[in-house]
Amino acid sequence: MLSTDVLIAGRNLFRHTRRSVFLGGALAAVTCLIILVSSLTNGIEAAMMESATTLMTGHVNVGGFFKITSGSAAPLVSEYPKVLAAVRPLVPGLDHVAVRGRGFAKVVSETSSMDIVLSGVEIDSEPGFARLIRPLDGKVEDLAQPGTMLLFQGQADRLKVKAGDVVTLSAPTSRGVNNTADVRVAVVAHNVGILSAFTAFIEQRTLWQLYGLSPSATGALQLYLQDPSQANAVAARLREALARDGYRIMDPDAQPYWMKLMQKVPSEDWTGQKLDVSTWHDEMGQFEQFITGVRWVAWLVVVVLLVVVIIGLLNMLAIAVRERTREIGALRAIGMQRTKVLWLFVLETGLLGLLGTGAGALLGVAIALVVNAVGKSIPESMQFFLMQERWHFLLQPGWVLFYVLLFTGVTVLASLLPAFRAARLRPVTAMHHIG
Amino acid sequence: MNRTASPVLRFAVAALSVLGLLAWAPAARALTPEELKKVVQTLDDRQRNSGDWKALCYMESKEKGKTDVVYELLVYRRDQDDKQLFLFTKPKSEAGKGYLRIEKNLWSYDPSTGRWERRTERERIGGTDTRRDDLSEPKLAEDYEARWEGDEKLGVYDVHHLVLTVKPGVDVSYPVRHLWVDKESLNILKRQDFALSGKLMRTSYNPRWKKIYSESKKGDVWYPEEMRFFDEIEKGNSTLILIKEIDLRGLDPNIFTKAWLESKSR
Repeated sequence: MLSTDVLIAGRNLFRHTRRSVFLGGALAAVTCLIILVSSLTNGIEAAMMESATTLMTGHVNVGGFFKITSGSAAPLVSEYPKVLAAVRPLVPGLDHVAVRGRGFAKVVSETSSMDIVLSGVEIDSEPGFARLIRPLDGKVEDLAQPGTMLLFQGQADRLKVKAGDVVTLSAPTSRGVNNTADVRVAVVAHNVGILSAFTAFIEQRTLWQLYGLSPSATGALQLYLQDPSQANAVAARLREALARDGYRIMDPDAQPYWMKLMQKVPSEDWTGQKLDVSTWHDEMGQFEQFITGVRWVAWLVVVVLLVVVIIGLLNMLAIAVRERTREIGALRAIGMQRTKVLWLFVLETGLLGLLGTGAGALLGVAIALVVNAVGKSIPESMQFFLMQERWHFLLQPGWVLFYVLLFTGVTVLASLLPAFRAARLRPVTAMHHIG
Repeated sequence: MNRTASPVLRFAVAALSVLGLLAWAPAARALTPEELKKVVQTLDDRQRNSGDWKALCYMESKEKGKTDVVYELLVYRRDQDDKQLFLFTKPKSEAGKGYLRIEKNLWSYDPSTGRWERRTERERIGGTDTRRDDLSEPKLAEDYEARWEGDEKLGVYDVHHLVLTVKPGVDVSYPVRHLWVDKESLNILKRQDFALSGKLMRTSYNPRWKKIYSESKKGDVWYPEEMRFFDEIEKGNSTLILIKEIDLRGLDPNIFTKAWLESKSR
């Protein structure tokens, strides 16, 4: 019986080809658009997560700032082995810890210069590091040697250097004394998202030397969790426990550490050591706000388009009911129930919705797959905003299905009003209708 | 037959003559520790004012790959209280920006955001190669240990070459400084600033010195009218500072306040 109803609904749609194609096409376009936008934002978020957790943050970080005077701040945790010993028992789901130095320096080559956020790394004690980095020139293992650094492709291009070349790092020490270090570019790596435009790695001891630090000091303890979704809970627990242990803890603030270093921390009236426990969401706060903004704009556009489609749908069904009033009258006269009439109209729009959104979803998925396969570059001016170098759509089948069902559902809901109107028609009135 | 000395013999005779002359010439005598101390103290004392100071300065910044920028700024100093204020007046985009130093704190103000930010004391002024202490009263004797490196010729000038090394526990921008001081006038003609690593970071020249009578000091105050800084790390970057229109009359105490600097951009 259902198959007969579907057949009737399908024939009705087929009979009004132009109208069906117009509305189905609109639904397909909206579905395709939302799938592309959502998979692009998913791609941005995934790239951001990968880039962030590779380059500058753990899922949770125990970093800090040391201030010799109120006006000068250094991003460091003094006596970090003690802090690490206090942290470990508080994080049962800890996968691994990366002890990373933090800094900010000017990199000067023979031909150019750029400001860069430095991350000190000990690759011997961080075996996962080599897996995250894809070398383009040179070997990652060479970064274990003192006086070496890793640059990403974009930075190397800008500085016009290759593996083996020497660059000069210039930065003030934690006491504000100007210092320099001549370092060899051990490896040039493939870019890892937009963060790799301004973040580079340096061998840890070289970083200590540049900033005049003792080996018991570091920039941050980056904690990688087995379940990253626990980051906020772990951070809150650490703040509480470390404060109980007598450490001075900074209030949570969703800003990357270098922004705190440049603006917030030097403006505060305190000296000595303060620890700053942050999550990767905090470190990526502004980028996350941007992504949320993109999602809201995308949804706003989709809602507007959907409203237009629904108005079109209501209009189409009103015309259909008017055109088919005599037909409805005849069907009612030979015994068709009101619910059946309602059902036929709802089925017709449901079928239209399903076909339209299904086609849109297929089109969106196909476009995303083709673009991913081609690996087309994003114009440089847009790379910062999209946080990617190449267009990458991260398709999630569950969400694709959700959008298809959501838009089909909305279409069906929109059809209920004209369908009720059709079902309410009295057979005699309907049969006498001239239209 | 024309008998002439061989070229080797002639060279040997000439070399011996030069060496003989050099042996008779008076050798450069090292400055005694007392003389050295006195020279460094004199360098500080000549520039010390003991009162207030106001100067109109021009700062030209040249950076590789960037357009040259010329800033006009007013510098106010009250050295006995460690107070200093820089107010940028030109170009238009920088007008109203400034730095205020109160004791050991250096604050920067941006009128476009209305925000004050505390900066490190050794901040580059306006992003140029100039540091705050380049425009302050020098404290070389207080901050550094001096060593006499030798007496040299710098162009037409006979100069003492001094090496200053920072005293333990003192924080300065450059831990080692080489000075070339005119023996006659005791003006610093050339300076090289070294990083903690020992790398040369900056060379500066002070080709023109001027003096002005200070009522508060009851004597002359010397100042370099022109300072040229050359970045030795990023070759090609340089900054020129010209100090003009110096006024040593007493300044209103309100000048060294955040409110005064803010009022200049309203």
